[in-house]
Amino acid sequence: MRLESATAYALRIPFVEGFSHSTKSRTFSDAVVVKVRSTAGVDGFGEALPRPYVTGETVDTMLAHLKERLWPRVRGIDPGCAAENPSPEALLAFSEHVPAGEVERETTHNASRAALELALIDCWLRSAKLSTGAFLPPERGTVIYSGVITTGSVERTAKLARQMRLLGLTRLKIKVGAADDLERLRAVREVVGPEVSLRVDANGAWDPQQAVEKLRSMEPLGIAAAEQPIPRGDVRDLVKVSAESPIPIMVDESLISTADAESLISARACQYFNVRISKCGGLGPTIAIAKLALESGVGLQVGSQVGETAILSAAGRHVAAWLPDVAFVEGSFGKLLLSQDVSAEDISFGYGGEAPALKGVGFGVRVLEERLRRYATKVVEL
Amino acid sequence: MSIRAFVEHIYQEQIDALTTCNEFVAIEVGSASKGAYDAFLAGVIRTHLTSPQYLGFLFSVAPPAAKERIKHNMLEELGYEEEGGESHPDLLRKLAKGAGMEAQLPELERQAQDNLREAASGRLMYGTLKEAGLSAMVEINAFEYMLSRVASRVARALEAYRGLSADALLWFTHHSEVDIQHAEEGFQSIDDFVEYYEFTEDDAQTIVEMTLRENAFIKRYFGELSLGRAAGMLRDEA
Repeated sequence: MRLESATAYALRIPFVEGFSHSTKSRTFSDAVVVKVRSTAGVDGFGEALPRPYVTGETVDTMLAHLKERLWPRVRGIDPGCAAENPSPEALLAFSEHVPAGEVERETTHNASRAALELALIDCWLRSAKLSTGAFLPPERGTVIYSGVITTGSVERTAKLARQMRLLGLTRLKIKVGAADDLERLRAVREVVGPEVSLRVDANGAWDPQQAVEKLRSMEPLGIAAAEQPIPRGDVRDLVKVSAESPIPIMVDESLISTADAESLISARACQYFNVRISKCGGLGPTIAIAKLALESGVGLQVGSQVGETAILSAAGRHVAAWLPDVAFVEGSFGKLLLSQDVSAEDISFGYGGEAPALKGVGFGVRVLEERLRRYATKVVEL
Repeated sequence: MSIRAFVEHIYQEQIDALTTCNEFVAIEVGSASKGAYDAFLAGVIRTHLTSPQYLGFLFSVAPPAAKERIKHNMLEELGYEEEGGESHPDLLRKLAKGAGMEAQLPELERQAQDNLREAASGRLMYGTLKEAGLSAMVEINAFEYMLSRVASRVARALEAYRGLSADALLWFTHHSEVDIQHAEEGFQSIDDFVEYYEFTEDDAQTIVEMTLRENAFIKRYFGELSLGRAAGMLRDEA
């Protein structure tokens, strides 16, 4: 098979409800979906969501980078048959067909790379009628997702906690970074009881000293982990926070490359990595970072992008099902967050946050192109 | 314990949002294009063609105190409640034919069935059928409550600006008459359901809020993008 054509869809899918954290409010999905087509007429779909505060990318920079830099270096290649030697290593080798996420000033083009890399993988696997699970054999048949409580008043936080309790969720992440964090956390704990695992995510809202103070005050509430307490920056600050915090530290914005992973591991700067396919540059880099974490005893969260569609959720599901040890999993909100998803299958997790490992060809979801066209604000032939 | 006031307040907010959204206003004042009228009619037909089946689900989990009411409602939808009665899906088919949309009917029937299949195929959000049943009851009653207050306005507009006959508009005029009673009965059935299945007020209200997070009227009749605009979800990011 040769890669013949590619199309990028910049989507705007309305949310069911707004979603906020310490630095951003969102009311729609800004996913960029890439479709590639082989000479054999097989399509593959990939997706990523730009996050300026993580990689510096925007929808417009993604579209431009895909058209001008990435697709010209991939068009026409023949990646061979996927049926030969399916293994995680084979998937990593295939991923290298797409150039690494380039760094330009404040921008690392990881989301652009992820969208194209996923589309190529999906196309490659569909051409051989294989599932991603053939390359990443699932360790578990069911993936357990966490709920996420966005920022807001104490009353709204308690209301969302009651919803999570009715959905049977046993792991919750609460977005923090406001003055009433403690009251909000107390309200959640009161609603869900002592058995539910709670963790917090500050999205870099604090300086190192504030972070330590805040986390010490939260400790009595039984918080399992604190994600990105301080902004991405000097790793020594993270080391300090990690050493003084009574709550284990998870990095997110501080981790977008294998170089970051190596540096964080070497400095013993955290106890958990949050790996997200979009910010890490695709499935290959995500697997590489996860392997580094596993080898060094760093715990893993398979994270997601707020507003991701079934394509990115499905890719994340495969990683979460494959990893031998995964502490927390996020994503697959599907129709719980999006007014409509783009796949024929409903990817949303169900009661208890449970969702099955996917078995269909490619990533295991059938993308409805009519929906891509309906929600596209821009369609770019690459 | 009655949660009627809580439910009715949300219903009323959603009706206000429906009747003030651009698409509905255009239908009502006659400024919509023929295509927009037809898209609206398609949304109505697609939404309600499978109503008897949803009522069948409600009947299967109905508490004793509500069983007869729901059975009556379901039989009426099926056209079995009186001699020579027409089923509501047949009234919708009559609406399609009266609007010259007969050729679209097979596709609308397919889409309605697809929606039912999708609803049945998704993973269950709740731990038991009692939560799913309460959620379904709240949503079905929402449409009956809304139609009892809005259907006659719509019928007048469709007659005036889309030229539909009284016969074609029977589904609307019928609902504006009987759904006042159905909606009233629906509130009683919701309270019966909450009591029989021993919901706490807190859990019952939470299920109501989760069920009515989205404005199903705008979504089903005008589509997700119209709802996104009406709900302010498509404005530029904050």
